[in-house]
Amino acid sequence: MAREFQRGHKARVSDLTAGTDLYVGVQISGPGLSFDISCFGLDADERLSDDRYFVFYNQPESPEESLRLLGAQAGDTESFRVTLDRVPQQIQKLSFTATIDGDGQMSQAGPGYLRIVAGGEEVARYPFDGSEFSTERAVMLGDFYRKDGWRFAAVGQGFDGGLEALLKNFGGEVAEEEEEPPQPEPQQPQAAAVPGFAPPAQAAAPPAFAAPAQVPAPPAPAPAPFPPASPAPRGFTPPPGPTPSAVPDVHAAQTIIAPLHTPPGGSPPPPPPPPPGLPGQPPPYGHVPGQVPPPPGYGQPPYAPGPPPGYGQPPHAPGPPPGYGQPPHAPAPPPGYGRPAPYGVPPTPPPGAAPQGTGVAAALQRFRETGTGHRWTLQNSKLVRVDLGTADQPVLARQGSMVLYQGKVDFAYKGAGFAGRIVGNATGQEMQLMRCTGKGQVFLAEEAAMLHPIELQGDAVCVSAENVLAFDESLQYEVRRIEGHGIPGGALFTMQFQGTGTLVVKTRGVPVVLPVTPTTFADCNAVVAWSAAAQVIVSSQVRMRRNAYPGDTGESVNLQFRAAPGSFVVVQPYEI
Amino acid sequence: MNQPLAGYAPAPVTARMENHGDHMLKVAMQTGNDLYARVGSMVAYEGFVQYEPSPSAVRQIAKDWVTGEGAPLMKCTGDGLLYLADYGANVVVVNLDGDGISVNATNLLAFDAHLSWGVERVKGLAKFAGQGLWNTRISGQGWVALTSRGTPIVVDCGGGEDETYVDPDALVAWSPNLRVKGKRSFKAQSLIGRGSGEAYQMAFSGQGVVVVQPSEDSTDRLRIRG
Repeated sequence: MAREFQRGHKARVSDLTAGTDLYVGVQISGPGLSFDISCFGLDADERLSDDRYFVFYNQPESPEESLRLLGAQAGDTESFRVTLDRVPQQIQKLSFTATIDGDGQMSQAGPGYLRIVAGGEEVARYPFDGSEFSTERAVMLGDFYRKDGWRFAAVGQGFDGGLEALLKNFGGEVAEEEEEPPQPEPQQPQAAAVPGFAPPAQAAAPPAFAAPAQVPAPPAPAPAPFPPASPAPRGFTPPPGPTPSAVPDVHAAQTIIAPLHTPPGGSPPPPPPPPPGLPGQPPPYGHVPGQVPPPPGYGQPPYAPGPPPGYGQPPHAPGPPPGYGQPPHAPAPPPGYGRPAPYGVPPTPPPGAAPQGTGVAAALQRFRETGTGHRWTLQNSKLVRVDLGTADQPVLARQGSMVLYQGKVDFAYKGAGFAGRIVGNATGQEMQLMRCTGKGQVFLAEEAAMLHPIELQGDAVCVSAENVLAFDESLQYEVRRIEGHGIPGGALFTMQFQGTGTLVVKTRGVPVVLPVTPTTFADCNAVVAWSAAAQVIVSSQVRMRRNAYPGDTGESVNLQFRAAPGSFVVVQPYEI
Repeated sequence: MNQPLAGYAPAPVTARMENHGDHMLKVAMQTGNDLYARVGSMVAYEGFVQYEPSPSAVRQIAKDWVTGEGAPLMKCTGDGLLYLADYGANVVVVNLDGDGISVNATNLLAFDAHLSWGVERVKGLAKFAGQGLWNTRISGQGWVALTSRGTPIVVDCGGGEDETYVDPDALVAWSPNLRVKGKRSFKAQSLIGRGSGEAYQMAFSGQGVVVVQPSEDSTDRLRIRG
């Protein structure tokens, strides 16, 4: 009987099977996702000291063939043959991981499992589900490790950064990426509440292909003569509890440790509107046409037969008389106005909707935090999440723009300095900033303004100071003066940001991003940002008649942009 | 009437509360199934709907409703379709289905009258005498509509001991089983006009979610009682 593992469970391999020639199958899939499943052979320091023990699609077996990639078979997305007693002594741990190839995150993955088959019989199975993860792009599924013989642990721990972060974590070498992995240290799976050993009989309904009889596919050698000299001496005392395998880290990179429900493509609970029914018979309030499953929570059971005379009938309805109340001549079942809705009726989830039905968590599903493992993540058009990560890279943000944070983050006043104050006062380009330092995720927003992260890679952008929400401290900024005549006060000022990092600009309303052409003009009050390569000239329309008489158009001072193709101007629908 | 405006006609009713667009709430009213709504939030109705400003049953509780501007409720009864909105704020419809939710009073738009609800003071936040954050806890089988300035974000607290810190001005709602603490983060330099603008946060921990809006209400939420 296959033993069901849960996240954090550990067991001796010798308690599962007497054999050491194992077949390890991993099944994981998700809509639109492709997974790379690999096995890392790690040394005592949990480092990938020998690259030849990183078994993946490009290196299907280890030197002495103790680890071998077998490919997809028998319902498994990927499978391995692991001959434990041939694994060299310096390899202390075999870690099975799944990483997403391309875009996506682990929460989009469907139910999957990792299973161990020995001698043609499934001996262990660790089922998992994408809903246990959030924004991770890689997950460590399970480990074989040496401790008085080989043991197996169901890990189920996510990694934000994908395969690169995983490789780095194991000390492997990878081409340097511009984006730092947000969290390169392992985090202890939340195994606290889980008992050390699961009752083995917890056979959750296995997927259809889980029939163990058909399991060991041809290449998987079913070792008929079990080598009895398994390294783990039997007759030990029961294995001790969970073995500490990693340093617990308080704040993992992901903020959602255990999402309540994250079905793939989870849809909000409101059911799809009933099919466009007969035009003369719209449903009365609270009623649903009989052929439609009742919507969750509300809605009378579809007992209403025929065309119930209901409120909301379009006037052109030829059939039953329209009317608000209960028409006295109504047929037998009165319409459902006076009927208190049977709230206690368990809602039937509409077909195609998320199976979890209703409730607060389900209703709020579509507003859940999202993440991609990047440093700056736009949560929706008005909220941005910055992951301060582990590297010491503070973020400067407008004072008071933090709405929520997780982790250990310190907010401190960021002064502009004496010179900066003078310049800021004189030019109006003054920013009230705070410095966010520490480790964790900060959510920034202000006055429901739309936010637009701009990633600078050595180039520069000019932004009006009041449109800056936050930026990486690695960016340099200075006040620039726009020359021009005809402006009261003599000149316009703007902030120029330069360097490598991200700048978040806020606009009121949906902005327009114009490519700079020879005839691009913008109101100096509505312009938000422009690429610094563009040359700005103040163009004032001076027409005697307009200026001499009342009834000015109010559009007298404009900015004209001149630049090479590729430059842009951002204009908001709001003039400050 | 084949004009573009015709596209904004109401959709057929499928539930007690629905969104009409992002910023409007549509409630299917029935006799015997009353609704409490924020005073002045009605923008349109069809059918026979009556409004009782602060009915006597509510007034008892409303005495305790010390929400500063006194966001009172009105009771809506009758049959028909009721459209509610709150100055263009986003409306979020929640079918409680036995769950509970704790809502900031300014972010509560409407809820079914038969739900059990009460105004409570958030524990652990009364750092000064007579001050505190007041909010409405609603639970039962029924519907609640919340408002949010901008698209809200829902953050899971993770269930562990880790705390999630929220700016009280941006807080909309949270799961009532979360533990709430106040966290003051100002330092001495804040007193000399050099604060970071983030003087006070609420710390949530436990199993549940926090709903946060991308805007910080200018109304002061930590109000003086009385």
